[in-house]
Amino acid sequence: MSISTTDLTVGDVLLPPADVPVVRHKALLKEALEAMTTKRLGIASVLDDDGKLAGIFTDGDIRRMLLRDQKPFPALFADDVLDHAVRAPTTVTPEAPLAEAVSLMEERGIWDLPVVDADGCFMGLLHLHPAIKALLGI
Amino acid sequence: MTPKTITVGTGNVRHVKIGGAEPLVFIGGPCAIESRSHALSMAERIGEICDKLDMPWIYKSCYDKDCRSSPSSFHGVGIDEGLAILSDIRLEAGLPVVSDFSDPAWAAPTGNVVDLIQVPAYLCRQTSILRAAGETGKPVLLKKGQFMSPWNMKNSVRKIEATGNEQVLLADRGTFFGYNMLVNDFRNFPIMMETGYPVCFDATHSIQLPTSMGDISGGQREFIPYLVRAAAACGINALFMEVHDDPNNAMSDANTVLDIKYLDRVLSHAKAAHRLRLELLEEWGEDRVHLDD
Repeated sequence: MSISTTDLTVGDVLLPPADVPVVRHKALLKEALEAMTTKRLGIASVLDDDGKLAGIFTDGDIRRMLLRDQKPFPALFADDVLDHAVRAPTTVTPEAPLAEAVSLMEERGIWDLPVVDADGCFMGLLHLHPAIKALLGI
Repeated sequence: MTPKTITVGTGNVRHVKIGGAEPLVFIGGPCAIESRSHALSMAERIGEICDKLDMPWIYKSCYDKDCRSSPSSFHGVGIDEGLAILSDIRLEAGLPVVSDFSDPAWAAPTGNVVDLIQVPAYLCRQTSILRAAGETGKPVLLKKGQFMSPWNMKNSVRKIEATGNEQVLLADRGTFFGYNMLVNDFRNFPIMMETGYPVCFDATHSIQLPTSMGDISGGQREFIPYLVRAAAACGINALFMEVHDDPNNAMSDANTVLDIKYLDRVLSHAKAAHRLRLELLEEWGEDRVHLDD
């Protein structure tokens, strides 16, 4: 049975937490960079002790941080990643229609959307490539 | 990070708050416990000065000096006698006391007596020492090693926090500048403040010239007033200085301890600089001048 692309939800294509860079809120910046490198994604989701999304840290944040802070690298690596994270990022729920979520990403000019449930718990990441592939049916 | 305030002192001794907008706290005494009578005499004389200045303070002295340069240097009165003397100071003078320890096995008995337990700078990244200090449940005076960057002290703090102890006071005692020489990097204070814990300046060890005299350390006491004023202006919450009534004959750190005859003067300067900083913050707001702030 095929599913109409208009019926697709974010939950159908989200990348689960195990497949995306995730770090705890006390993680050092260095740990976030390692997670982003290992999982080959330019965004790390920072979770609190209850698994709720505390912030996101992206490649763009790294660029801005390097130009702004000009700290020596050992000092930057030792910073808490949360100090450089976006604390209240745009999010979607798993039930949200995929097409609407992609429109939101286009509107904001972003490649990734953190997915959280009604309690703010992290459910995964909506990445633009698999989302487009699903919408195109390829 | 919201600044934390720690409280030193339990039971019948004075309770001293360190952090935030609390008054500057003095931590001081002879480097080593030399005798019961000398310790009590120093507690009384320092107390008179601090009372006159209305300055909260904590008595400091150590029972075992494990990092002396020479095997023939005075090593200390030992843990049993030392802790008994510190206990007497608590009881007789009503003062909170601090002492360090350099063996994890000494942490529990030391923590049973002192109000603030000190981790020596050379041992500031030793997990067994930090864990033992944290497990005493007493606030921990954690000195930044002369070889450590201020941002890496967070790792040591987290080793203490892992024991459930979230009462830490971070101290700067100088940073190695080549061999036998220390300098103070005053950026260390705002950087260590980022942990949220209060910070302390150890003035008498900062002017130390480590093992510069062959088998003992030298020092340049003449710089103490300058460094103290600078540190107070940077926003320290506590000032640490070793004090002696006869520095030339002190049994430990004779080249760095402050002569007690100058204590009134140095503390007065420190208190005034600390108060002025708080007044400036009140008038102008926090020290934030970053482009994005």
